[in-house]
Amino acid sequence: MIASVILAAEEVEAKNPILPELSEMFWGAIAFFSLWALVKFVLLPPVLNVMNEREDRIRGDLDAADAARARQGSAASEVSDQLAGSRAEAAQIVDAARAEAEAERAAIIGAAEAEVASMKADAEAEIAASRAEAMSGIAPSVAEVAADAAGRVMNRQIPLSSAQPVVDRFLSNSN
Amino acid sequence: MFALFAAEEGGGGGLQFPPISNLVEWPNYFGDGTIFAFNKIGLISMLALLIPTGMFLLSKKELVPRGLQNIVEGAVEFVDKQVIQSAIGPDGRKYMPLLLSIFLFVFFGNIFEVIPTFQMPANARMANPIILALTAWAMFIAVGVKAQGFSGFMKSSLFPPGVPKALYLLVTPIEFLSTFLLRPFGLAVRLFANMLAGHILLVTFGVLCIALWQKSALAIVLPFSFATLVGLTGFEVMVSLIQAFVFSLLTAVYISLSLNPHH
Repeated sequence: MIASVILAAEEVEAKNPILPELSEMFWGAIAFFSLWALVKFVLLPPVLNVMNEREDRIRGDLDAADAARARQGSAASEVSDQLAGSRAEAAQIVDAARAEAEAERAAIIGAAEAEVASMKADAEAEIAASRAEAMSGIAPSVAEVAADAAGRVMNRQIPLSSAQPVVDRFLSNSN
Repeated sequence: MFALFAAEEGGGGGLQFPPISNLVEWPNYFGDGTIFAFNKIGLISMLALLIPTGMFLLSKKELVPRGLQNIVEGAVEFVDKQVIQSAIGPDGRKYMPLLLSIFLFVFFGNIFEVIPTFQMPANARMANPIILALTAWAMFIAVGVKAQGFSGFMKSSLFPPGVPKALYLLVTPIEFLSTFLLRPFGLAVRLFANMLAGHILLVTFGVLCIALWQKSALAIVLPFSFATLVGLTGFEVMVSLIQAFVFSLLTAVYISLSLNPHH
């Protein structure tokens, strides 16, 4: 077998191995031009279509992501603005409430102080009246006791009329 | 394979490197003596058509790519970004079918260099590089004529601006040779020579490994030779990809020059 193969090789040895064989060119041309036609009309278009579709999808997704990011940025800014407004409003409400509470507290304290002062004045007046009433009630008895005590010390009768002014003066001084 | 057989046959009598024709010429499967003669190169050309076609047809077309779809879209995106956008710009998208076809056809024609039982790049024969180079040549001329008109394209190609008129006697023939003959010739020979060199390199180390295996005293260096063979095989995978990239990129550059001659 080896000898026959070498023999076959020797048969073609006479040709220049660099020069092209017409039959090889024939089959090569058929193969290449068929491949070119197939690539152009059958093989390449669906591949390019799916590649373009993928590129479009990716580009669309990127654009959508950019738009969403922009929307998110504006929403965040809006929320931030609203938050700042709410904070300012809340601070204003707190200040107003604090001022109102302060005024109310001052009014309540003023009213209470006035009421206490009034009660105090009433009590003082009542005490003074009670005292005066008590003094006027005990003055004759005190004068009588004092005249009796003084008479016993002096061994003579002290009239109540002379003791009464002295006791009245004493009691009035002791107030 | 011829090379390996030859080395095997000559194993008893020392290292015998097979003639170059044994490395690149293959017996026909059918059609002997006709233009339809079909050999290993024709088979690889057909596989370079069928494999990418199958990959494109079998890959799913989903928004989230997985598996084979990643490879297919990776190839399309590579040609778009690294070839079309870098050489032509956004206007070059309409040349995507041609440039992608060139890239895939060259790559799958090359990669059979490292696939066991094939171990031959289709582009180590001159046939396919010539077909591809002539296609690129016809394309950039057609694009130039369409973009600038016939006279405009010929003027921009043969009479570069800024050259003193007297020098056109010298410059115009050079430009003609450069643009209309050397461009396709360079495209074809660059691919052919690179792949043939890589093929010969791999065969050389393959033959060397076999010869060393049969020589007991020299078998000690066999691991190094084999490691080099494995390394070169990996290198050829890279070369296959680079050559496909270079061929499609140069085609794109020529198209770009036809579209915008002053850039």
